[in-house]
Formats: sequence, C-alpha cells, structure tokens
Amino acid sequence: MLTCEAISKAAAKCLVKAGTTFRKDQFEAYRRAVETEQNENARWVLETMLENAMVAKKKLHPLCDDTGIPHLFLELGDKAVLPAGWLSAVHLGISRGLEAMPGRPMAVKGTDVERVEQSRGLFQNPAKVRAAPVILKPASGDKLRITVLMLGGGPEIRAKTYRIFHRRSMDGVLREAAEWAKEEISHLGCTPCVLALGIGRSHAEASALMLEAMKEGRLDRQNPWEQKLTRWLNETRVGPLGLGGGTTALGAFLKVGPLRASGVRIVAVRPCCCVEPRRATVALRG
Amino acid sequence: MKSLSHSSRIIKVRAPVDEETIRDLKVGDRLDIWGSIYCGRDAVLPRIAGLFEKNALDSINVHLKGAVIFHTAVSMAGIGPTSSNKVEIEESIPILSRAGVKIHVGKGKLKPKSVEALNRNNAVFAVTPPATALFAAKTVSRRLVAFEEEGMEALYEISMKGFPAIVAIAHGKTIFTQLPS
Repeated sequence: MLTCEAISKAAAKCLVKAGTTFRKDQFEAYRRAVETEQNENARWVLETMLENAMVAKKKLHPLCDDTGIPHLFLELGDKAVLPAGWLSAVHLGISRGLEAMPGRPMAVKGTDVERVEQSRGLFQNPAKVRAAPVILKPASGDKLRITVLMLGGGPEIRAKTYRIFHRRSMDGVLREAAEWAKEEISHLGCTPCVLALGIGRSHAEASALMLEAMKEGRLDRQNPWEQKLTRWLNETRVGPLGLGGGTTALGAFLKVGPLRASGVRIVAVRPCCCVEPRRATVALRG
Repeated sequence: MKSLSHSSRIIKVRAPVDEETIRDLKVGDRLDIWGSIYCGRDAVLPRIAGLFEKNALDSINVHLKGAVIFHTAVSMAGIGPTSSNKVEIEESIPILSRAGVKIHVGKGKLKPKSVEALNRNNAVFAVTPPATALFAAKTVSRRLVAFEEEGMEALYEISMKGFPAIVAIAHGKTIFTQLPS
C-alpha cells in the first residue's frame, strides 16, 4: 500500500533531480550544437553549459542559482488507490526537496501589498517557496505520476499569452507566435532556448498546455512543426547568450489542445532558458 | 594574455580593475576575472546608486573604484546571472559606472542609453552563462556587505579564482547590434 511518506520522499527526490540533472536528450542536443556551432564564443558557452551540467549531476548541485518555482503536473490512474492526504504529501515532498537541493530562498514575506512591493524582505528558508497551482489529469492504470518542473524567472519576463487570428493556417499561427519569441530572445540572455507553446481555448488552458508541452517534449523527437519553429529562431542568429552564432534554440515543444469554433486561437509561448525545461517524473503504484 | 583571434582573446583581469585594462578591452574578448566581485541585483543596486548620489557609500564601507559588479543573487543555491535589462538593474548601470564600477556582468541585451553611459565612463558590460555548479568551484569566499534584510538580494562580496565572462558592450560597440530590437 502506497503511503504518504513514500509519496513525499518520491516528490522530494524528483524535485532535486529536476533542478540538478540534464536529461539524456538535453546532453545530446548540446553535444550536437557544439559540433555544428561555428562561432567560437558561442561554442565556448555551449561547452561551458555541458561542463556545468556534468558537475551539477555529479554533485547534485543546482544547474542554475535561479532554481525556479516548482510546477507540478500530476497524472492519476483510474485504478490508483491513494492514501488520505496524498496531495498534501506531494506538497510536503516539494518542501523537503527545496531544502535538500537546496532551492533559492526567494519566497517574499508579508501581506498582498507587502509581497507585491517586496517591502518586508524574504524568507531565509527555501522550503517557503510554494508550488504553483497543481495541474491534475486523469490517466489509465494504477499509478500516480508526479512531474516536477522548475520554472526560472528569466523566461517568465519573456513569455506571452495572447490571441492569434488563425485564418485557417497552422503555419500562420506558428509564424506569428515565432515572431513574438524572436522579439524577446535577444533580451532573454540565457539562450539557447527551447520554445514551449500551448494552443488552446482560453489563456488558462493555453498556459496549461504549454506546461504540458514542457512536461512531454523531447529534443531528440521533434515533429516537423517543432523543427520549423526551431529553424525560424535559429535564423535570427541571436546565438548562445546573445553572442551570435547558429544556436539560438535547441528545439521546440508544442502542444495543441481542444479548440473552439472561432477564428481565434489562444497561444502561450515561453522561451525556456538554456537549462530548461528542468523536469523529472516519478511513477508510484497506488 | 593568450590570443586566439580578434574575437576570442582570453584576458586575465584582476579586480579592482584599472582604466587602461578597460581601454584595451574589445567586444568578444573572453575575461578570466580574479579577485573581489560585488554581487547585487534588483533590490540592492538602486540603493547602492542612491548612496553614491548622496555621497554616502562610506557608510556601508563599499569602494566602487575599479569594481566588478555581478548581477546575481547570492544564496545557498549559488550564484548565476540575472537579466541585466530589468528596469532597476539597467537604470543603476550609468550611476554605478560614474561611481567607478568598471565591469558590469550579467545577461541580456541592454538599451542604447546604457551603451552610451558605459562608454562615457570607460566601463564595459560582460555576459556569463548560468554555470552555477561551475561557479561554486571557483568561489573562494563570500561576505555579506550590506542590506541583509534583502535576503538573497542583499549586497555581497565574493572572491573568485577565474570567473569567466565575455565582453558584450565596450567603447560604444555592442555584440547585440545585429540582433532584433
């Protein structure tokens, strides 16, 4: 029988892995980029990021000092039997993971106004950083799958959720979304990016789909639309850290949800930074 | 100094930095910075700039002549560049350059106004990747200098052995010129 303690332990370990470890497809994408990048300084940046990832994995050290805000994507099997308090146990695990990694102590103290104005300072305890509202989806089977994504602040400055008049053209929708991204990536600083996109019926749904794209996407399995998005961004030659070169984006992750009868699509776009998407998944049998 | 090509000289820099060293730097140069680096970001840099304008930097025992400032938080998670084009950080660059800061390190494209201010004060802007795990190995010591109440956004001074950065803006020239505005 799955216990709350086992859930907390698994969630904590999952968070640490997300914040400290490149996935295999990330390592491979960087290695491919190092091989093809012609700009010497850009190549140095890519090599440095690879070296950083190797040290981080070995020492379980945060990949970046902005360890990010935990975002949880939960998939609950229709035959899973979970103990009372399981969701609180997931959150407890997130707090423990933030203490263990450690996460950056960036939770802001105070009332609504004090938090907005950051006038009462910050908590010293990284565990005070609360996870964003959870996304929960039904699945088949007897497992609870917990995916932890750690979202850094830089890409949040550059992300956008807005409407696009589709004119019955997928190419047109993606071109317009890519134009948004092109305007922002030179200011991002932490390129090469991975462009995450969600297309849905509302701003909330488009953002959730974008997060789902970040949960599922793989840099070694890119569909033709994702390849096209990557190519458009690389044509800007912003390059790593904005230094120029051919590696502005390592890939794109796209998720299209159910859509409404309308000439409008709501599109969420986030240029994930050079250590993102930081994610890890654990599956627990319930 | 090791010279690979015009765009990728590797230059060892000791902080505090003198005027001549800065005059010799070019966009694209790779820096290897040794010594003391101040660390601050959104919350604290405007406060430091405010103290300079009131001629009150001595009150916190901060000496900016020849200084290197890294736009970063300092916490148990380590250090890494934050976006230098955030309003409070970018607005501090001209004032802190006047106060004597010679190398501002961060990330992201800056406005033409900042490029001009750096040039006017013989200061440069350099970028560095978020290589937090690697930076940990290069950090010799760290010290809380002022504004402890700002937590990870307080002013810190760290001592580094070989902190890497690339000059992105120097003498009115910028590596970001060709990028979309």
